[in-house]
Amino acid sequence: MTAQTVQQGDLVTVIGLEVHVQLETDTKIFCGCSTERTDEPNENVCPVCLGLPGALPVLNEAAVEAAVKIGKAIDADIPEETRFHRKNYYYPDLPKNFQITQYDEPICADGELEISVEGDRRTVTVERAHLEEDPGSLQHVGGGGGIDSAEYTLVDYNRAGTPLMEIVTAPDFRSPAEVRAFLAELEEVLEYLGVFDAERDGSLRIDANLSIIPAEEIDGEDTAEIGAEALAAANRTEVKNISSHKGAQKALAYEETRQKNAIQRGRAVEQETRHWDESRGITVSMRSKEEEKDYRYFEEADLPPLRVSGWKEEIAIPELPTARRERFEDEYGLSDEAASKLTSTKQVADFYEDVAGEYDPDLAATWVADNLLGELNYRDMEITAIEGRLEEVTRLVELVATDEITAKNARETVLRSMLDDGRTPDEVVAEEGLGKTGEDEVKRAVVEAVEENPDAVADYESGDDGAINFLVGQVMQKTGGSADPGDVNQLLRAELED
Amino acid sequence: MSENVFITEERIEGDDDGPLAGRTVAVKDNISTAGVRTTCGSRMLEEYVPPYDATVVSRLKDAGATIVGKTNMDEFGMGSTTETSSFGPTDNPAAPGRVPGGSSGGSAAAVAAGEADLALGSDTGGSIRCPAAFCGVVGIKPTYGLVSRYGLVAYGNSLEQIGPFANSVEDAAQLLDVIAGDDEHDATTREPPRGSDGRTGDARETREPQLENGASYADAATGDVDGLQIGVPTELLEGADEGVVETFWDAIADLEDRGAEYHEVSLPSVEHAVEAYYVIAMSEASSNLARFDGVRYGHDADAEGNWNETFAQAREEGFGDEVKRRILLGTYALSAGYHDKYYKKAQDARAWVKQDFDEALEEADVLASPTMPVPPFERGKSLEDPLQMYLADANTVPVNLADLPAISVPAGETDGLPVGLQLVGPAFGEERLIRAASALE
Repeated sequence: MTAQTVQQGDLVTVIGLEVHVQLETDTKIFCGCSTERTDEPNENVCPVCLGLPGALPVLNEAAVEAAVKIGKAIDADIPEETRFHRKNYYYPDLPKNFQITQYDEPICADGELEISVEGDRRTVTVERAHLEEDPGSLQHVGGGGGIDSAEYTLVDYNRAGTPLMEIVTAPDFRSPAEVRAFLAELEEVLEYLGVFDAERDGSLRIDANLSIIPAEEIDGEDTAEIGAEALAAANRTEVKNISSHKGAQKALAYEETRQKNAIQRGRAVEQETRHWDESRGITVSMRSKEEEKDYRYFEEADLPPLRVSGWKEEIAIPELPTARRERFEDEYGLSDEAASKLTSTKQVADFYEDVAGEYDPDLAATWVADNLLGELNYRDMEITAIEGRLEEVTRLVELVATDEITAKNARETVLRSMLDDGRTPDEVVAEEGLGKTGEDEVKRAVVEAVEENPDAVADYESGDDGAINFLVGQVMQKTGGSADPGDVNQLLRAELED
Repeated sequence: MSENVFITEERIEGDDDGPLAGRTVAVKDNISTAGVRTTCGSRMLEEYVPPYDATVVSRLKDAGATIVGKTNMDEFGMGSTTETSSFGPTDNPAAPGRVPGGSSGGSAAAVAAGEADLALGSDTGGSIRCPAAFCGVVGIKPTYGLVSRYGLVAYGNSLEQIGPFANSVEDAAQLLDVIAGDDEHDATTREPPRGSDGRTGDARETREPQLENGASYADAATGDVDGLQIGVPTELLEGADEGVVETFWDAIADLEDRGAEYHEVSLPSVEHAVEAYYVIAMSEASSNLARFDGVRYGHDADAEGNWNETFAQAREEGFGDEVKRRILLGTYALSAGYHDKYYKKAQDARAWVKQDFDEALEEADVLASPTMPVPPFERGKSLEDPLQMYLADANTVPVNLADLPAISVPAGETDGLPVGLQLVGPAFGEERLIRAASALE
């Protein structure tokens, strides 16, 4: 928790999240249909996920396994057995007009996730995380483009039955930046667990509740200690349609400002649901004076309770980002910043460890964290984009480590050209003639430079150390820039000492 | 045909050989048949043709049976007379002018009229046993979990099972042999217990084999009741028609003559069973029937307006009065503020009923009662008073609440009208019921 002190008149932002995460399983949660994305609507469907009369759900244990992994990663309580409920509501994307979900006994309860915000470490409470089925997706055609204004609406059930995990946090966030940090950390953990694919469209969907509370309503000085009463007294808005961490920060910053402005101008904040319009960068009111929804939850008798008491021990999870970051600092002597960068995704961290296993860990860190990620970031690429070419990057590091090319050429010419034209490092080196000039050739150039520039040599001998730079320049010119300036410097000094 | 037994007459041939080769089977119209419409007796599904077979239908085909048609039923199984069908009522072949019972009235009537050798029905609160009793045939409601429900259009999914009708106990048992058993498409099914003779307890917790290896339910129809302990729950005789009670005791006397013994037992909780049953069944129905919105299949109202209005219109036009009544009451019982008062209380009562049965079955091998407290109603009478119709289920619904197996077997007649005797056994004790019931033939 942050322990900021607050002043009278201050307004404190309070945010809680409901995050829907699509779990990466081969088949849907209650039938054998593929979860593979396809452009053909209603291709991966069967009687079960279409909700045909008489069809029955059968639980995909891979989804439960993924949920248990998440539970272990966030140190949540996992019950002896897990059961499902029906959430009853009508909507055109919902095949059965009820959703199979979990109610009073979620698969994960009372977990936590540690995040880092501007160097501060904080712990966010995850109140619960439960399994449920994704509805289908709607495409509104013509008219106003919304469900009530379109000419007609098409339904695609390919998505229906994709396993979802709904992760509900306590109202622990005090700023949109904290929300973003949490979502980034969460995504990282989920990817480490191998239960989530961030690049899948719609794989992460966020609803956020935001309220503004006057500082004087807060017990004590710690903003973390907001009483339930103060929270209940404040009107909150639920912001829907957020689909990324960046989006979450923007949407909530907008909403925070909108509510604070209203309060400062003496206007009431309405309790309502608002829609984040990503393209316009604003939230718009969806429904105000929201009625308390009654979902008439009751037990899903078609799915007998599943005993999972032993699963927590049986299912192993990999080393998580925080632990790995700490180990990188200890084992490879990396800075916190470098270790953080290198553990940002499992793939980056795995690659770093491959390279650091063969070459100097510091050199590996510079190459992976700074050079590779820097160049990728500049091109708006992820490491996944060059998944099949990581060996080429390793080869490039080898060329540098074995002194075959200069670090400067490796970074500025070879790496960029690899990413831009798809050439291999050896091709670039050969085609651009970047191989480091042989030692004899450099030595010859040094001797020549000394002979051809008696004035500079005299200046150096009379104590003008700057003259060496002129001589280094001459040698570089003779070798077409392929010599290492440090080496040249040393060779020159040795030559002049003789 | 005069009785209006079938909604759709269609021959579906099974494999060339198998235990049911050469036998004809009528299938209740809430059991999905690929390529043959499955209406549930409702206008809502008048044109619905399933793209898949229910597990029991696949098993019938594999066993060589010939399906001869889809039988009439109360709409979505909601009724005890087959009069709530939107395809008109079915007459009782054993008592013309009277209802065949329900909701599987068409299936019972098909067997009684000789339209089919065998039939499948479904039983949520008595929907196999009631028409079996009224039409003078044998009907079995299996233990919850013995027969796959995959493809059975759900009404009260925690209560119902598919089961057989036949003119003899042995034939019904043979059909049960074909349809019983674990199914990967229904997570509530259990492997058919093979081994001893049944055991008390919660069906859903019982996994012990009960039938001997290789033995079949049909083999159990030996008529041997020597030493059988019959418990007669006094509560299930109270308020029953005099002629029905007399016929019942005559049947018990027959069993005594063949070596069985009876004693009275008490099931105090059953006085709440009808209320509990209707709250649970209607609650589940309100959710199970929510999918009928006209979007993917079923009645399309072709309405103007937004999706909400279109859904409402499809449901207004597609469902009959009894279905609407039960959806409304079920929705109410699950609603915030009423959930604890109705739904939760009904679940508590269900647990109590189960416990009473378990206790009674510790001192008896089977429990016996009249299947229905009354002989078949005259046609057209019952729709006027739904509550009276619900109360007629008093002897059958407790069995569904307890997840137990039961059989209805003809016990004789009163005033020329069929009377059925119901035997209830422990979870997966079908073999015991079949043996005892066959003694009455």
